[in-house]
Amino acid sequence: MGITERISGGEASTNRKTVMGLRKETIEGILWSLPYLAVFTVFLVWPAVKGLYMSLHTYPNKFDLTETEWVGIQNYVELFQDPVFYNAMEGTLLFVAVSVPALVILGLVMALGVNRDVAGKRTLRAIYFSPYVLTVAVVALVWGQVYSQSYGLINYYLGFVIENPPGWLTSPDLVMGSLAFMTVWWLVGFNFVIFLAARQSIPERLYEAARLDGATGWRAFRDITLPQMRNSVVFVVMVQFILQFQVFAQPYIMTQGGPSNSSDTLVYYLYRSAFSQQQFGYGAAMGYVLVAILILIAVINFKVIGDSNV
Amino acid sequence: MSESTQSQSLRAYLSGDAVRSALLHVFLYGLALLMAVPYLYTISRSFQPNELLRDPRPYWIPPLVGEPITFEHYQYLLNNTLVVEWTINTFIIAGGATILIVAIDSMIAFSLTRLDWPGQGVIMGIILASFMVPYYMNIVPLYQIVSNLGLINSYWGVIMPAAASPLGVFLLYQFFRDIPEEYEEAARLDGFSTFQVYTRIILPLAKPILSALALFMFVYNWNAFLWPLLVLSNETAYTLPIGLVNLYQGNIDTPGLHMAVAILGSLPLFIIYLLFQGQIVRAVQMQGATG
Repeated sequence: MGITERISGGEASTNRKTVMGLRKETIEGILWSLPYLAVFTVFLVWPAVKGLYMSLHTYPNKFDLTETEWVGIQNYVELFQDPVFYNAMEGTLLFVAVSVPALVILGLVMALGVNRDVAGKRTLRAIYFSPYVLTVAVVALVWGQVYSQSYGLINYYLGFVIENPPGWLTSPDLVMGSLAFMTVWWLVGFNFVIFLAARQSIPERLYEAARLDGATGWRAFRDITLPQMRNSVVFVVMVQFILQFQVFAQPYIMTQGGPSNSSDTLVYYLYRSAFSQQQFGYGAAMGYVLVAILILIAVINFKVIGDSNV
Repeated sequence: MSESTQSQSLRAYLSGDAVRSALLHVFLYGLALLMAVPYLYTISRSFQPNELLRDPRPYWIPPLVGEPITFEHYQYLLNNTLVVEWTINTFIIAGGATILIVAIDSMIAFSLTRLDWPGQGVIMGIILASFMVPYYMNIVPLYQIVSNLGLINSYWGVIMPAAASPLGVFLLYQFFRDIPEEYEEAARLDGFSTFQVYTRIILPLAKPILSALALFMFVYNWNAFLWPLLVLSNETAYTLPIGLVNLYQGNIDTPGLHMAVAILGSLPLFIIYLLFQGQIVRAVQMQGATG
């Protein structure tokens, strides 16, 4: 780091060799990093390593977890033959397929709308972002009643339009879509404020120049707005893929994976395997498979939206 | 182009603009209203007796017969549940995690950007790479580690894993790196120690980003769900999100209670949001800008 080198170089005392031939600045640097590095190592790096070990073992004694049995890749083999795993994968992918595009597109539309000449930008922003500060438990409690089949808000009004409105959380075909819709309400504000900041940082002169060339509306959007906002679009898509892929609390609180396992998800299954059935090795293996899938998704995302000239 | 056609197209352009602007306002405010519906619904229902709530017809404004408004749900929560204790627990956990995160993240960011020592590049690389580790992948081994450390059912069992998050390090690293060296140079010449440079130069300059990070981390940890659910199995140790869900699952047919607990559970954060909205939004936008 050139900056500090010059500074400390100007002052002989900071560069003096001290303990065991280490410069004072080196010692200081390590000491200042140590508190975070200790927490980081114990609670993030070490579990990642330990997880690999656990995934290659079983724990025959549920009360004494020091008793382990080496099983090699058996946990992984079982996982890939496990119909519950595939069902949970299907549910997760469906949830991601509905929620992520909606979260990204609606967030973008809201940001471009608020960026225009509208009255009360601050009020709109405050309302759009506000559900993001709710805990998922509150979101689930409130939407449980909005969706309720017997006294729910949606079905009461829908009842005027169609006969026998469906059970949003009790129909296997609709449940994932309902959970995704609620999640969009909850989290779209995050994407909205990021897109808004990105849109506001595009220099207005680009649009003026385009207007002189006769490019407005859709063409300005395609040729200026999207390319200029590309980084934030890539960021939001990635973050939402990773987040929504790990969906857990919504089915855990609202449906327990039902009806007939139609709203089961990977993290929920991981949770049940490890913490209800005490299959720690199996749960750890699932954790590793999750990471592999997420890395794959990240790579695909970068290939699809990172390289092409959107 | 003659003058008359020019003014004509201008008029057409203007009127089209007005229509477009009106439609835009209708769309944006309609969306805002739709997004606010669950709030109004929750507030209104939290004050209605359960008999009224089981009626398929929603009462936005309670009917003026019988006893349309009741505080029984709130009274029940305050008298018969641990909702106050849960709020205190959540404050301690979210507050403790926030203080710890701001302290240790700013220290290492300072060390990695303002001090010069071998290996700092490698360390920053490892911290950046850890972004790829999804949080939930670690829960099984992490649970064992926390359990072996004897931290189950303790505040520290929730706080310490939260403090391992690399997000704050990353955000502060970028900010500290861009602070002009002149400030520090002058301070060093005045004989400031490293500690003084950190407390008197860097921290004051970084105040806006530190407060934004702190607020974001507070909100984030207040709302955390899965990890506290695993670590806190004792009812007196619950955070609000865990307590709410337990209460809900134990009283499935009491809609008024669910709404009242939803209000009590989100009120503290909503007040914080109303007061510090700008900084919380800023913290989110910083994440996007670095992406």
